[in-house]
Amino acid sequence: MSDSDTSQISRRDFMRLAGAAATTVAASAMTAVAAPEAKAAPAATAPNWESKFSVCDMCFNRCGLIARVEKGVITKLDPNPKFTKSRGMLCARGNAGVAQVYDPDRLKTPMLRVGKRGEGKWKSISWDEALELAASKMKDIAAKHTRCGMLFSAGADMQSGFVNRFAEVFGSFNVTSHESLCLLSGNRAFVDTFGDVPLPDVRNSKYVILAGANRLEALVTPDSMDLVTIMKEGAKVVVLDPRYTKSAALASEWHAIRPGTDMAFMLALAHVIITEKLYDAKYIDERVSGLDKLAAHVAELTPAWAEEQTGIPAADIARIARELAAAAPASMVYPGRRTSDYENSTQIRRSFAIVNALLGNYDRPGGLVPARPAGLKKVPAEPPWYDDNPPGRVDAGSVPLLFDEEGSFVLTRDAVIKGAPYPIKGWFVYKTNPMATAPERQKTREMIDKLDFMMVVDITMSDTAWMADLVLPAPSAMERTDPVQALQSGAEGACLVWRDAVIPPLYESRPVFDILKALAGKLGLGEFFDFDIPAYRLKQLAAFPEAAEILKRDGVFYPPNPPLGGTDGQPFKTPSQKIELYCSRYEGMGLDPLPVYAPPKASPDAARKFRLVAGRSACVTQGSSTNNPLLSEFEPENTLWLNDEAAKELGVKQGDVVLVESPVGKGELKALVTPKIRKDTVYMLSGFGSISGGLSHTKGVGASIVELMETRFDSICGNSAIHETFLSVKKKGAA
Amino acid sequence: MKRSSIGVIAALILALAAASLAYAEGNARKGKFLYRQKCRTCHGTTASDLSPSSKTQADWKKTFAKWEGVKCVKEWKAVSEADRADIFAYLHDYAKDSPTPAKCN
Amino acid sequence: MNQKLAMVIDSSKCIDCKGCMAACKQANGVSRGAWRNWIKEAVPPFVNGPGGSKKLGHGHFQPGACMHCDEPSCVQACPTGATYKNALDGTVVIDPKLCIGCGNCIKACPYGARFRDPQKRIADKCDYCPERRAAGLAPACVDTCPTKARVFGDINDPNSEAAKLLAANQGKVVRVVAKNRDTKPNMYYIASTAPDGWAVQPVDPLSFDFLAGVVAPVVKWAVGLSSLGVLAMLGRQLFAGAGPHDHGGKPADERPTGDKKEDGHA
Repeated sequence: MSDSDTSQISRRDFMRLAGAAATTVAASAMTAVAAPEAKAAPAATAPNWESKFSVCDMCFNRCGLIARVEKGVITKLDPNPKFTKSRGMLCARGNAGVAQVYDPDRLKTPMLRVGKRGEGKWKSISWDEALELAASKMKDIAAKHTRCGMLFSAGADMQSGFVNRFAEVFGSFNVTSHESLCLLSGNRAFVDTFGDVPLPDVRNSKYVILAGANRLEALVTPDSMDLVTIMKEGAKVVVLDPRYTKSAALASEWHAIRPGTDMAFMLALAHVIITEKLYDAKYIDERVSGLDKLAAHVAELTPAWAEEQTGIPAADIARIARELAAAAPASMVYPGRRTSDYENSTQIRRSFAIVNALLGNYDRPGGLVPARPAGLKKVPAEPPWYDDNPPGRVDAGSVPLLFDEEGSFVLTRDAVIKGAPYPIKGWFVYKTNPMATAPERQKTREMIDKLDFMMVVDITMSDTAWMADLVLPAPSAMERTDPVQALQSGAEGACLVWRDAVIPPLYESRPVFDILKALAGKLGLGEFFDFDIPAYRLKQLAAFPEAAEILKRDGVFYPPNPPLGGTDGQPFKTPSQKIELYCSRYEGMGLDPLPVYAPPKASPDAARKFRLVAGRSACVTQGSSTNNPLLSEFEPENTLWLNDEAAKELGVKQGDVVLVESPVGKGELKALVTPKIRKDTVYMLSGFGSISGGLSHTKGVGASIVELMETRFDSICGNSAIHETFLSVKKKGAA
Repeated sequence: MKRSSIGVIAALILALAAASLAYAEGNARKGKFLYRQKCRTCHGTTASDLSPSSKTQADWKKTFAKWEGVKCVKEWKAVSEADRADIFAYLHDYAKDSPTPAKCN
Repeated sequence: MNQKLAMVIDSSKCIDCKGCMAACKQANGVSRGAWRNWIKEAVPPFVNGPGGSKKLGHGHFQPGACMHCDEPSCVQACPTGATYKNALDGTVVIDPKLCIGCGNCIKACPYGARFRDPQKRIADKCDYCPERRAAGLAPACVDTCPTKARVFGDINDPNSEAAKLLAANQGKVVRVVAKNRDTKPNMYYIASTAPDGWAVQPVDPLSFDFLAGVVAPVVKWAVGLSSLGVLAMLGRQLFAGAGPHDHGGKPADERPTGDKKEDGHA
């Protein structure tokens, strides 16, 4: 119980209600006698700046912005008011985009490793040398180990598509992205239920359940802003999270659910909706298959049963089910984004999808809506065929339903370490940082030790770059001309953006497109990169002759968006052509066709009693932003959120340094003793405890979450499972 | 009923079992290459814009069972049986109702 | 009629994303460790039940900055006239040429809105971004806000968004003031806000009694021009420590919001 005076919400007497005086607020201003000190200040002059459109790159949202440039220097990034997907905002990270451009930690020239791997001894070399070296290493690896012996990993960047194109024409099937560390299990579950991955239309929703999704901190446009708007309009937002996040703070209700039990909650919602017949029978009959089987499956899964699992009172669960159904179809279980939590995370998200299906909210305002066609043309290559390549990806077949174009980073890593089914000896990394984002970085290190050649293209010396043989400096987004990208919003459909360089590239940095084009030339693949980005963009925009002019004028283009409801009467893209409560695909593959609940595994070791959960601050985009000079002022280090009662038992006080340990690693960080987290759970931010000597603000600061996390993965799609680690916590210096 | 957490070995066995159910016989990767080489030249420009996700798996089966009836039968005749199997594998495995629907790229 | 620039805030919309703080810092080149604006957090009481924690009520985030008061204690505390009320738009302005960095205004502000810039060694605070306004833009914090919790404008102009918002919420507008001193701030919170009770009693400089009253303007004028006075106050600056609400002198481990402190009490 809090006894803090300042933290109470109740009204205080010294907060003066302007009440009676409110009417006079304006009036008093008019009649106010100027204080004797008042004088007229000299008029300010408008800055002599040029305003240029671009698109933010501090996370994946790609908010439209206007760069203010004075004498060739970017002084400020402002939101582009025409870019409605972001509701005309730029968050703290977006504002810190300037600090990224002028970060003293930026890479300035190509760097060649001269010491041992990870030792941090580098030599600055010329671009000619660097590109020649990279091309010859790639040739060697292809000759010795086939072209699939090269692995390509690119982050979520507007030029990442060129890395995939390069991999394809080079001839490697082995491509990973950040997605298998993030959201694949959610995608898997919705594809297997609805036949596609629908988007939430938060703006028009009356009732939203956020289970684990911390949308007011892990900002997704426009959902984050729309949640606040709809709550102001009377919509209800229910948050399930073991942690009192900012979403929990503002939500209509917050339930500190026992971690790993979301499926029990969802199945109990299904139980209530089915047994009380709260669904639209006609809709279910026409559009949904498997209700009988689901009804039998959840017959015993009552709210009382779910209370035992989740810790949420049965009466609340039953009430929420009824309220959710009453608001249908303008209600939803928010699908979430980072769904990489448990070894059954696909099945957990299947239970989310099933409740949505029962609400009949597909393609309805306020429900889950299909992505609208953006009309962007692909510019495919016709890659050569290499007969000597192995049959598939190196991680193929390791789980039943891998996404072929994404694969699984942790399973690819295992394969590289084992050298089986075939060796991978080269790694090309562009603006992604697995050393800071993939669980168990010790294993990532082990994987890297198996490589003959590793090159990283990035803006700063990330932990991953620190391990490479060759590091090439990339310009920041503000220094680049980029292809067109389609962005989707559930509420409004698609919009298109591109980037024109706001300033020329700083130092010797070169865009990855230029690097790939040069490498393609040296490898005899020049014909596949025989274009420049402006020409490429015109091909992408072939369907909209007016788009280029509008993009120059407004910084964003809105293609015509068909109204919702367009899929009515159309078959769903599932084997039964209906929404599949009972997944026939899984049945055919020997997987559970209905999500079967199993209580989360307890810690195998009594000394490690705290489940580690990951999460976000609105000022942090994992390992890519914590070293930003401006953002590091908001999050200078990570802390261990530790429940106040648990801390008392451990003798840990506010700000004490604690030692945390998992079966795979250790860390040291300050404790944040707080009632904002369950007693059985601890939390820390990612992106700290860095090892790279090129990161002034985060090297050795706080603990590395990926040093502690065990390697676990979703058993269906290979998505990383990052909530499966238990930690021991003790005060530093204690026995 | 099987628990949702399966071991890697179990998953491997399942994947092999699944392969026969969910996937066609040919080499889908080779099929993608061949499709672009032999079909994409017209489809997407002068002929209808086709991609694997344009049809369901059942539809692709039907199309390939009676390929002598398609408009571009002349072009089809120039494709070897082995290549046709690969192209089918690509279109079928990435069909609209497949586990991984793909637009042509 | 002269303008009266003010901020009208619906703090129930604030998600504590720090967008306004980052935007302000970037727009105004505020030094590392110093802040012209803030977001305060109100944490509800918790109970640790069998099912984990439970909040009793809602959390609340409260954006703030210099409130450009109608009776600014900082203006009265300034010995040189560097801090004054702009007769044209009602803002409280610092003239950097006249400020000697004595720190009186910092202690005189009940809201902790002022700090001594660690580089320039003079007082600094929110000025509603006059250069941006001259360019026809809203202050940086207002422009960037994701949920548009901050609304800015001339409340003497009934057509401004801020005035309309005030009018629409007549009788439901609150201001944060210190217990025994209402400086008539021009920062209006719609309906309700939290935390409250954090404004402190302004500390009037020792010289205040003697400077107060009709003499003050004359003395200020004299001090402002006299090199002796400037030197005296400069000496004072050299010896004055960072005040209790001097943002410029914050220890490195203190966050820009008070959330850590509140957690500590819990």
